[in-house]
Amino acid sequence: MSACVEVRGLGKAYGGRTAVAALDLDVPAGSIFGLLGPNGAGKTTTISMIAGVVTPDRGHATVAGHRVGADRGAQRVLGLCPQELALYDELSPRQNLTFFARLYGLRGQALADAIAWALDVAGLRDRADDPVRTFSGGMKRRLNLAAAILHKPTLVILDEPTVGVDPQSRRHLFDAIRALAAAGMTVLYTSHYLEEVAELCDRVAIMDHGAIVASGTVAELIARHGKPPLLELELAGDEATLLAARALAARHGPLDGAGAVVRLPQPPSLGPLIADLESAGARVVRITAQPTTLESVFLALTGHALRDE
Amino acid sequence: MIAAAIKKDLQLLARDRGALVTMFLLPIVFIAVFGSIFGGGDDDARRRLAVWSDPASPRAAAVVAVVKASGVFEVIEARDPDAARRAVADERADAALILPADFDPAAGHPAELAIDQAGPAQVRLPTIGAVTAIVTRAVFPPAAGADQPVLVAATPPGIRRELAGITGFQVTVPGNAVLFGFFLALTVGLAFLEERRAGTWRRILAAPVSRASILIGKLVPYFLIGLAQFAFLFTIGVVVFGMRIGGSVLALVALTVAVVACATSLGLAIAALGGTEKRLGSIGSVCLLVMGLLGGAMVPRVVMPPLLRAIGLAVPHSWALDGYTTLLVRDGAGLADVAPQIGALLAFATVFAAFGVWRFRWER
Repeated sequence: MSACVEVRGLGKAYGGRTAVAALDLDVPAGSIFGLLGPNGAGKTTTISMIAGVVTPDRGHATVAGHRVGADRGAQRVLGLCPQELALYDELSPRQNLTFFARLYGLRGQALADAIAWALDVAGLRDRADDPVRTFSGGMKRRLNLAAAILHKPTLVILDEPTVGVDPQSRRHLFDAIRALAAAGMTVLYTSHYLEEVAELCDRVAIMDHGAIVASGTVAELIARHGKPPLLELELAGDEATLLAARALAARHGPLDGAGAVVRLPQPPSLGPLIADLESAGARVVRITAQPTTLESVFLALTGHALRDE
Repeated sequence: MIAAAIKKDLQLLARDRGALVTMFLLPIVFIAVFGSIFGGGDDDARRRLAVWSDPASPRAAAVVAVVKASGVFEVIEARDPDAARRAVADERADAALILPADFDPAAGHPAELAIDQAGPAQVRLPTIGAVTAIVTRAVFPPAAGADQPVLVAATPPGIRRELAGITGFQVTVPGNAVLFGFFLALTVGLAFLEERRAGTWRRILAAPVSRASILIGKLVPYFLIGLAQFAFLFTIGVVVFGMRIGGSVLALVALTVAVVACATSLGLAIAALGGTEKRLGSIGSVCLLVMGLLGGAMVPRVVMPPLLRAIGLAVPHSWALDGYTTLLVRDGAGLADVAPQIGALLAFATVFAAFGVWRFRWER
């Protein structure tokens, strides 16, 4: 699959502090690509450089073959949905969309068609002429997306597009994003919600300290960086029995949990473990498997330290 | 793109009640209040003089007759000396002339002029001078045949003749138009900050639009609204407050274009300084008020000490007001008469714009 976005050696520093360091990245055309990272990892700076909003100190990015910054070719084929609700609250959705569409040279019937389509995507056709300030957070988020896709860009950059939305609006946004990708648009998606990325994105790159620390499909990342799934067993028996059972369970892996709850990495086969527990006189009343998640991969790669930046 | 940006910002301004009140309503209130204080016209400018004379003194009665005949004062006749003094204390009169039965200046028995000695010199000194002159003329009339004016006031050559019958509104309308007109700069600065805060700035920067177009598209609507503000205030000045325009209307338009261009450029310079909305609002307001004060928007520069008058030349307000004064009160003044002021304002505008473009942080 060819790359819609190619980033080579992209770097940016602010006042001596490196925000992005010599970044290389390929976003396959037609994919939904997740860019993850803790606060201050450099995600927003990276997408801002790809969008032409921030000028890189070094390196370059190309979007659909257009080198960003060389002319306005790249900006004609990309749409940016900023993290903020980048809308004029006092204006209506139609007035907002008219202004943003005209930035891309849309006029006349093409303008009217684009606005009607974007309002449909956002599910706001019946509220098209109400002031945006009267909208809920979810409605504003949907309109924020609509304003980024009016000109049917090749690349849509979505920076935290679901912050503060209700489940219904989140589901609507997901469906809209999938539909955009199905129509051939490439989506570059950043989010703090890892389950969203796992559900939505074909490929993921994890950033930290201005660099990509891992990339691939979610399954690849879990296979490469995830710990084995965790098994949790609840036992029944008196105190002495449980003590003996825990001692035997420890032979199958590093043990966690306390009392009647035994937690350990999932062994290749459950039979020997259960046989050992029952030989100690304990009865297994519940077994729960906790699969490895993208979050555990994320934390394994970026650490548990708080990032308050 | 520029047309779309103009339309969008005009739509936003039309919904910004605070900005509309500041730009259009507040100046009218200031014009009305200060215009009344400075005098609404020649008739209204007459000072009120309470008068009491002892009925037993023919000399006193003769003086009262002369004071009334002079037409200089609006005469209020008091019942007794205390009533005359109370009229001053109660601010129903600016001064009270009390002529006792033994009134005879030649014999060392002067009249009493009751006046607030701590009152404003602009009121006190001319009142004392005028009453003294009228009473002196009444008590010591000139010989028959010598009853001629001792002086005639005349405008020297080089100064255009002042319009007859000008009112305080000739000063307060342009003064407040300039004071509030330059607050446009703050509105412009805050509009840039709001775009950044809302994130729309990033969205605009990501569009295939040149940065020059973005700046022009952001400034032109405010330039137009500034012109509308001046047109509105001057129209109200003429229609409601009876302000008269002695000079050329074309020159007035040219001067106004230069003033609004200067205020808009100052807005760009303020936007380039950045900061928070709160900081910009407080510091910007104070700076613009001080500039207005130094520029004569609140108190005419002609009554300022020479040092302040010289300092005032460092702010565009003074050049704007000098230009408006020339066009409003000098009969027949034209473009050539205000060319220096227009030139100075355009120079200010160039400096502000250059600073704004130089210091503007696109990515902040």
